[in-house]
Formats: sequence, structure tokens, C-alpha cells
Amino acid sequence: MVIKHKNIFPTESPWSNTDKLLLCLDTGSWRTERPVLDREKCNYCGLCALYCPPQCMRDKGDYYEVDLAYCKGCGICATECPRKAISMVPEGEFADG
Amino acid sequence: MVDATKKRNRVFDYFIEEEQFAGGVAWCAGCPLELTARFVPKVLGKKMIFVGTPGCAAPVLHGQNIGAWHHLAYMASVMTGVPSKATGLSRYYHKTGQEATVVCFTGDGCATDVGFQPLSGAAERNERIIYIAYDNEGYMNTGNQRSSATPLGAATTTTPVGKIKRGKPTPAKNMPMVMLMHKPRYMATATLSHLEDFAKKLTKAKEAAKEGFVYLHVFAPCPVGWRIDSNRVIEVCRTAVRTNYFPLWEAENGKPRFTLEVASPKPVGEFTKLMRKFSHLDENGMKDLQRTVDERFALIKGLCEVYKE
Amino acid sequence: MVSAQKGQVRVITGNAVGAYGALLCRPEVVAAYPITPQSEIAEQIAQFVNNGELDAEYVEVEGENSAMNVVLGASVAGARVFTATSSYGLVFMYDALQETSGYRAPVVMVNANRETPGIHAVSSGQQDMVSTRDTGWVQIIVENDQEILDQIIMSYRLAEDNNILLPVMVNYDGFYLSYLAEAVEIPLIEDVDAFLAPLKKQTPRQKLVPGVNIGCGTHGIEMGYVEARYKHCQAMERVKPKVDEIDKAFGDYFGRYYGGQIEEYRTDDADIIILASGSATGTVRTVVDSKREKGIKVGLVKLRLFRPFPAERLIEALQGKKAIGVIDRSVGFGWKYGPICTELRALSREIGTAPILSYIDGLANLDITIPHIERVVDELDTAAKGKPYQEVTWIPMEE
Repeated sequence: MVIKHKNIFPTESPWSNTDKLLLCLDTGSWRTERPVLDREKCNYCGLCALYCPPQCMRDKGDYYEVDLAYCKGCGICATECPRKAISMVPEGEFADG
Repeated sequence: MVDATKKRNRVFDYFIEEEQFAGGVAWCAGCPLELTARFVPKVLGKKMIFVGTPGCAAPVLHGQNIGAWHHLAYMASVMTGVPSKATGLSRYYHKTGQEATVVCFTGDGCATDVGFQPLSGAAERNERIIYIAYDNEGYMNTGNQRSSATPLGAATTTTPVGKIKRGKPTPAKNMPMVMLMHKPRYMATATLSHLEDFAKKLTKAKEAAKEGFVYLHVFAPCPVGWRIDSNRVIEVCRTAVRTNYFPLWEAENGKPRFTLEVASPKPVGEFTKLMRKFSHLDENGMKDLQRTVDERFALIKGLCEVYKE
Repeated sequence: MVSAQKGQVRVITGNAVGAYGALLCRPEVVAAYPITPQSEIAEQIAQFVNNGELDAEYVEVEGENSAMNVVLGASVAGARVFTATSSYGLVFMYDALQETSGYRAPVVMVNANRETPGIHAVSSGQQDMVSTRDTGWVQIIVENDQEILDQIIMSYRLAEDNNILLPVMVNYDGFYLSYLAEAVEIPLIEDVDAFLAPLKKQTPRQKLVPGVNIGCGTHGIEMGYVEARYKHCQAMERVKPKVDEIDKAFGDYFGRYYGGQIEEYRTDDADIIILASGSATGTVRTVVDSKREKGIKVGLVKLRLFRPFPAERLIEALQGKKAIGVIDRSVGFGWKYGPICTELRALSREIGTAPILSYIDGLANLDITIPHIERVVDELDTAAKGKPYQEVTWIPMEE
């Protein structure tokens, strides 16, 4: 038997190791709506970041900015924002959307 | 510029560790399980080990070949072996003086149904582990089948609304109460609308797990299976607390106390109207559900009174 | 040349021997659940721990499935582990058995063979071992109390060898050996330490360490799954010569040899062979001797290694023989032959043209007696002469 397969696991047992590979999905492509922040209204309370399931609100020092690479567009940030500073806008309205 | 009015939420103060998960992972939009999984290591720290099992968490907790979705140590298990594997890990780490927080992370199906026996056993033996059950009231990963945590009347794919039977005929197993009767070193209920409450409980859990068994029951509604708009999931959690559908309490050494008492609880209808799994319930169905909620609340309230200092 | 010092000789039961075997190997985590006929091991080890004779975490689990999961967790963390079970307990571990071997955890377990459910029976039989043969474990069958002890020690050398890393199940006939008190030499623990010392010179195996970004039990996706299964099967192949090698090393050190994968008794010039396993092989030896005195050239092959199946050694031992009788202490649903016989028949082409006769005997604590084995020898003698024979015989059904 001629083995052509190159081993995936360095060990006998199947273990994963994120030094070798950190898996990541393009979840940003799932989105149909995108959160847009009105910085005038934002008071940097951080609730949007805390409640964000994929934790993709980035801390910019005095406001939060969504990381569109991962935002799935669930809209929790917009619903939970106590100042109504975030609105969900259909992706079709953006040139990159 | 950060001025005086721009004060960050206190929950951030509980974080001792950076985000451990990759940015994009395979949990549905709006899933509170994703929020739970990302939240827990931030509070518990890097020396935690996930012991997970098939369910909504497994596709992300467990790797694929050499790759993984997060930087934490983990051990995968079938549903019947989670607390037992955690026992083995924890016993050996303790014996050899290795610092570790061993965290079982399973859904309600594993905790209340097929994996209940080893959970009960580990709790009775007072193993130094934390068991977190994320309760989405059914087998959501396999497509919304009923578990014993599915509430009275709820429609699932195995308790569907039909011409002669409509939804689940029996109430949910009162799992937090079942675990309280094990008198664990520490236990608590928690949900994602009340993150500071959750963070405090995790902090207590970490310390308590150095001495014995910890059980955390986390209410985690499923936007897909329960048919909730994805943006309203946190609101569902909050309403569950405010209707006493899911009261927030904790118990050290089996002595329960509320961590939040709702001044004037709303009727359960405020909660059920946020989702469609109860939308077929008539007036009598809603009354029965309200009675279940009231009875359960009375029970925990009574126990809290007994132990009031 | 024997290097080990003479150990203490004590008359103790097979179960007590199992506990002593574990004690001598210094497991760090032990988990067990009581079941007849194994319970004495669980009790005795608990006593060792509570007396301070064994420095181990002892977990009194709420079921056998948990027993296996606890030792699996501890093994993955890096511990040397031990557990013991039987029958219903073994099959209750079924999923965990597969995880343990799939995770390549070097767990050592004693299994006191007993019938499995369906027909409820609190009695001896190898149906439990047979029912779990496809779980990826190494399965070894021993004959007497001394062999239980020695095989447990050898099993750690095997399981924890970096070229193997597989769980090992040491099987002995429940009731027959579990409650049979025999004189057993218990080696000094220092000598067992010395025998197991080569394991410590190896590169430490992969362990689950808190704070380290590795995970145990990753999903095997496509070629990841294929690779893991291939490696597991290759390791099973390596077990076979390793069992022989360890048996020799053990014999050289302690003075007791068991033949490795199989033991051959008066086979060299034999025309007919009985293939048997477990405690019944003692009876077979007696009959071999008496039949030899009557001029029948019969020999015994004692099967020690059941998984992996010792194909090469069996072919070598059985090639050119004129008739082979296999005594199975279990049944094979879907094959008319007994399970060991069915497996042996997979080697028919290599063995030659000898008739292979299947005998089912010793189920449910029924003795495999001298007259039974004499009958087997007589029928094999007939078959070897080219006369008609019965292919499958349930011996008790014809009595």
C-alpha cells in the first residue's frame, strides 16, 4: 500500500491546536441589515458591545464601531441601545453591501 | 473624548481575559448561546477547560481536524459523559496541583435528559467542577425537538400543534430546583439580559468550584426554534425575568436567595407574545402556563424565606 | 535469568488479585462501580486508598458509563488510570469505550467476564467481551489468578507505550476466577516500578493542560477521520509483536512467561489442535496429556490476545494441522459458529485444508468438563482422518 496522504495530525490521537489553525467563518456575509451608529447620540455606555452575540463592537475610546467582517446583522445592538443611537439599515443601501 | 457622562458599564470590570473565540463562528444571528460562550471565559480566565457535547455548542466548542474556533483547552464528549470526564480532569489537576477551572457546557437536553445521571452523580460527589446548562428549552441543534426542559404547551417539532394534540402536555422539569436539592457548593440561575448579575455569579462560581460542585442554569432563548425576531432575544431574556418565568436566584450550600426581586411581575403573556412557540395557546392554555409560573415562583420564594437570615 | 526479587505468596481470589495488580502499578485516578462478579475489586481498591496504601483519587461513580468517562478524562489530563467492570457494566460503557480508544487514552481495565443482558444471567461467559470487540480496545484473556496480576502489569507497559497508546481490557472468567482463591506471587512494588520504568523515558504523550490552546476530541472531517482511523488500526497491528515483546521482557524479569499473543502447548508434533481461552484451558491441558498417553497427537493453542486477532501467530501454529476444534464461551449472532471460530475461519486459506469444528460450551456457568473436551478430541481425531464430522456443536444441548 502506497500512502499518498500527508498527515493532518502530528500526534496519534486527533487533537486540535490553534497555533496551527484558528478556524473562522465569513459571518459578515450572512447579514441583510447593518448597524449604523449616530455618534452624536452615543454615550459610550458599552451595552451594544456587551450584548453583541459575536462580540464584534470594537472599542474606539469614546464610541463603538461594528466590525462588519463578523457582524451577522441580528440587530440586538440597535434594540438594546438606551439612546437609540444605532439603526439597522438594509445592506442594499451600501455600495459595499 | 470621554467625558463624565460617558461612563462605561460596570460589567467590563469583571473581564479578566481577552476574547477567546474567532470573530466568525457558526452560531445563528442573535444567539444568546454565542454571547454566553464568549462571556464565560472573559470572566473565568484562560485556565478554564471546556468540556462540551453535541448540541448547539459543539460545532464551535469542538474543533475540526487540526483547527479550532477558540484558544481554550477543551475536551469533547458524547452527551452521557460530560460531568464524568470533567470529574476525571478535575481530580487529576487537583491531585497534581494544577490550577484549572473545569467547565461543563451543555444544553438543557444533555443536562435534564440524557446526561442527567452523571450530572446528578457529580453534584452528589461534590466534584470541583462548574456545570453550565444553557437552557433553550429543547433540542434546538437537531431541529427544535422537545426536551424535558420544554415548557407546558410549547410547540416543538416533536410536540407539534395538531388537530387533537397541541404542544407539550407536561410542564418543564424544574431543573434549578432539582439541582438545589443536591445542595451544591454554589448554584445560580442567570440570563443574558442581566449581565452584571451573570458576571458576579461566574466570579463566585470560580471560587466555589475550588471547594465543590457548581451549577449554573442560564436561560438562553433560541431565536430560530422559538421563532423570535433575532434583535429581540435580550428583550425575551429580560421579560422572562420580569414575568417571573425565569427568576434570578443563587444558592450557597443549598441556601437560596433572590439576586433580583421583581417588584410587580407582569403576566406571562408579556413573555409569550414575543415568540411564536406559544402562539397557538388559548385562554385556558395561557392560564395553565401562568399557574406553572406562579407555582414555581411560590416554591423558590418559600425556600428563600426559609433560609432568610 | 530472573532479576526480580521473590515476591510474597498469598492465597487470594482473582478479584483481590485484580486489585493488587492495580495497586502495584500505582494508578493516580481510579473509578469503579460495583457489579457481580467484579465488586470486590472496587471494594479492595477503595480500602487501599483509605488505608493510605495507594495514593490515588478514587471516584465512586454512579454508573459504569461514568466510570469509563472519569478514567478517560483523567487519562487525557495525563494520569495513569484503572477501572474494572463486568457484563452489563461493560456494555453500559459502550460509547465511552469507543471514545477512550478513539482518543487513544491508555486506560487499563479489568473485565470479569459474564453473560450480557437479554437473557438475564448472573453467570460466567465471554459474551461481554465479544459484544465489545469492535470498540477499538486491546482485549486480552487470561487463564488463572497469577496471570491476572501479571497481565495487568504487562498491560500498562503495552497501553502507555508511545507506539501503542491504546486502552487495554484484561478479561478473566467471572465466578470461575473472580471468586477462586489460588496461591499467587505478589511482586515487590519496587520491581514493578522497575519493569514499568521504560515508560517514563519516553517523550511525554499529548496531555490536556489548562491554559494551553489545544483540544481533545476534535471532529474528524473527511481525511482527518480517515487518518485517525488508519492510525488506530496501524497501532492495533503494532500491538501484536509488542505483546510478545513485553511477555518476553516480563518473563526475563519476573520468571513467568505466558507466550504473548497465544500460548502453545504440545503443538509441535500435534495433528489436531484445540483452540480455547480463559480458565477452561487448564482443563484442556489435562485432556491433552491424557489423550497423548493414548497416542492421539493433540495440542492446545490458548488464545490470549482476542483484539487485535493474532492472525500471524495462529497461522504459524495451525498451518498443516489435520483438524482444529474451537471452543467458544459465547455465541455469534448471525453466524452458526462461535465468535472465535468465525474469526479463525477468516484465516482458513492460510491455515490449509484442516476441518475447523466449532464448539459452544461453558455458557451461563456451565462447566467445560473433561468429558466435554475428550469428546472434542475424539471428534477432531475422526475429522482428521477424513471422516464426516459435525461442523457446529452446542455441547450442553447434546447432553
